Amino acid sequence: MRDAYLVGAGQSSFGSFPDETYRSLFETAFERALDGADALNPARIEEVHLGTLGVGGRQLGLSAPAVTEHVGLHDVPTTRVENACAASAYALRGAVRAVRAGAVDVALAGGYEVMTDTSADRTKWWLGVSGETEWERTAGTTFAGVYAQMARAHIDEYGTTVEDLARVTVKNHANGAKNPNAHLGFECSVEDARSAPAVADPLNLYHCCPTSDGASAVLVASEDVARELRAGDPERAGQADDAAPLVRVAGVGAASGRVGLFQRDTFTSIPASVTAAERAYDAAGIGPEDVDVAEVHDCFAIAELLAYEDLGFCAPGKSGKLLREGVTDPDGALPANTSGGLKSKGHPIGATGTGQIAELSAQLRGEAHVQVSSPEIGLAHNVGGSGGGVAVTILERVDGGARADGGSRGREGDER
Amino acid sequence: MRGIDAAAAYLPRFRLSTDELADAWESVGASGIENRTVPAVDEDALTMAAAAAERALDRAAVGPRAIESVAVATTTPPLEEGPLAVRLGRMVGLSRETALAEHTQGTLAGAEALDGALRASGPALVVAADCPAGDPANADHRTGAGAAAFVVTDDAAVDFGDRAWYADEHPGVRYRERGSTLIDSLGTTSYEREAMRECLAGAIAGLDALDAAEDNVHAAAIHQPDASVPGRVGSDLPFDTAAVGRGIVVDRIGDAGAAGVPLGLCRALSSAGPDDRVVGAFFGGGAVAFVFEGGLGSGAGFDDALAEDLDREGIQVTYTRYLRERGIVAGNEVAGGGAHVSVPNWRRTLDQRYRLLAGRCPDCGALAFPPEGACPGCHARVEYERVALSRTGTVATLTTIEQGGAPPEFADQQARDGPYGAAIVELEAEDGEADGDSIDGGTVTLPAQLTDCDPGDVETDEEVRAAIRRVYTQEGVPRYGVKFTPVG
Repeated sequence: MRDAYLVGAGQSSFGSFPDETYRSLFETAFERALDGADALNPARIEEVHLGTLGVGGRQLGLSAPAVTEHVGLHDVPTTRVENACAASAYALRGAVRAVRAGAVDVALAGGYEVMTDTSADRTKWWLGVSGETEWERTAGTTFAGVYAQMARAHIDEYGTTVEDLARVTVKNHANGAKNPNAHLGFECSVEDARSAPAVADPLNLYHCCPTSDGASAVLVASEDVARELRAGDPERAGQADDAAPLVRVAGVGAASGRVGLFQRDTFTSIPASVTAAERAYDAAGIGPEDVDVAEVHDCFAIAELLAYEDLGFCAPGKSGKLLREGVTDPDGALPANTSGGLKSKGHPIGATGTGQIAELSAQLRGEAHVQVSSPEIGLAHNVGGSGGGVAVTILERVDGGARADGGSRGREGDER
Repeated sequence: MRGIDAAAAYLPRFRLSTDELADAWESVGASGIENRTVPAVDEDALTMAAAAAERALDRAAVGPRAIESVAVATTTPPLEEGPLAVRLGRMVGLSRETALAEHTQGTLAGAEALDGALRASGPALVVAADCPAGDPANADHRTGAGAAAFVVTDDAAVDFGDRAWYADEHPGVRYRERGSTLIDSLGTTSYEREAMRECLAGAIAGLDALDAAEDNVHAAAIHQPDASVPGRVGSDLPFDTAAVGRGIVVDRIGDAGAAGVPLGLCRALSSAGPDDRVVGAFFGGGAVAFVFEGGLGSGAGFDDALAEDLDREGIQVTYTRYLRERGIVAGNEVAGGGAHVSVPNWRRTLDQRYRLLAGRCPDCGALAFPPEGACPGCHARVEYERVALSRTGTVATLTTIEQGGAPPEFADQQARDGPYGAAIVELEAEDGEADGDSIDGGTVTLPAQLTDCDPGDVETDEEVRAAIRRVYTQEGVPRYGVKFTPVG
């Protein structure tokens, strides 16, 4: 099986844009993804995978072709992927597999969502639709409520504190404040984050990500195309090969889980995250200790703490300590959510997964707003609902002209 | 002999005091009523009926599957037209062969239901539940809520002695216009009082069994729209003041409509011993009187459980809270949405929503709730064995959905009742068998809304008990299912 490479990644700003549509937002993301691949003629895109939940209804059916036709990808086969908040990580997985299988040489993956153009009451109809609807929702449990239940269980089991939750918020806002694409691009203090209005005890407003509008897009290509594009890149012309990094998709791991929290054996971990991470690490031939920068799914502050544990960044119950010790700060050993994360950058459901990829792509190319020191391995962790579907994507910077199949880590054949 | 084998009462936990009403309205027309019970936002006649019926069935010698007929009495059915008794039957686990009867249209409904059960053969369940409302400026000052349930059998603790009807037309004493939710009356006091006196006296005079030993009536539950009526009409009747007093509940409950005399009868039976006689005298246009031989108390003692049903200490609410809980000032419904559960899909799961029936995998023994889909333990597609879950359990984890945070289908409830608890509760399953071996029950977790509590006071590991409540109303159809309430 051949390798897949990212040859471009971009996102629109995330935020509230009453004058935009899901099509116009995607157009922006698509243009920005192409900016990273100047030599790529869009006519070479052979298939498209786009993630969206469809919040608000609008074009609930066939919105993905509506988007690709809008950006001029006429008659290109387009598939809409629905896996709640993990929709576009799964869209990317589809594109990667198509390239790896040799079915296509260039594929587009991405996502889009518009969440802020309906009344607050109507919007609530669409929040929590990715929870278990027949039992969890009919008990009156909200989406924040499910994560609050996990937070309570984590506090009870490990002594995690509300201040630990606040620290997630403070860190991610500090990063997001430097990101011009962030929805809530302001800094906040621990005191701000502790004294915000309660939403679902122990979670308050500052422990919850916003509902956002936005889109993101990623171009996936075979290694031959990736090298050809680099050679044809006028900015790169005349430079030595090793000055221009390529970004290889080192491994993708995905797993499903029970949609309802009550259906699981544990409330202090997301089992599908653990499994997806194991599969991604196996596929990439690395372990959590090799990760240099990560974008993790922090829809609620507790989710980032669970992610540290589920991804193996620390032992169960030790996430608060990891955070307190600054390990996941931008200058720490394992910076997390340098983009601001879902909390500060925003969470336009379908756009979030490939939005994380856009940040990692920038990090590995050395172009991020909060740039960490020369990372080689980036990990994106994207969770659907409260853990019904998870995808973990590992990207690797490939410097110089060495072909990946010669020297890179990785195992072929059994990736899931 | 045929008679009442078990009785139970259910009262909502909120109380509105006459003092609180007086602060709001200056004068209160509720003679002798000190408190009235107030149904919570998720309660109605059906949920109160289910609560009382479940208690009565627990106390009876026969279980729900043995009940051959069920009769429900209320003037406040949740739907003006729509099945009621069959929903109650499903909630408390009656068999599908149970004969159904529903009595409404007036405060005599409770008597009609009881009379039908006494005339029937085989174990019968009688439930009267009501939550009338009136014009907030006057008639509403009297209204209360509650439910009483009786299990009638042929080998009962309390023997049925006699009944007598007295039917004559007295229109305008109490009525509710079509399309209105508010009870009304002509307000012609002397006419109304005379109507009650004539009918009740006429019915009681027809009780042959009373002639021989009229001084042996221990307690008499007499129609009680307020606390003065039983005394006024009772002065013409062959009971002493103490006996009439032992059948009064209106002072602490308010006017519970069709459930008023049944609740009074519960109080009367709770203090009556085996040699005592108890009378129930119902009015609602005509009148019916019953006399019973024996009681549910032990001699001079009381039936503690039955007495506790009625003495349950409530929580005083402000008049503002009262107006919110009852929906007199309320939120609004948001239309459309993304997490709809259809009525047919809801119906499919009634055994789970009412009776907490789980499934056990016959291969690996793992428990599944709801019992459908692949086994959560071995992931095989299996035919589950039905397994009952305990109706009490513990809180595994919980949160409080704060004001304004509720999903749209719960927005009205939250506007009226405030923040609510959303928990995952852990319930034990009865022991079972898998792959030929007997195995311990094990536990199941399920999501549960908490009710009848301040969610901020509930802790992890706290013990909670199932209560069937209204979940929400969509497409005009009220949906019911278990919620959980702290045991302590």
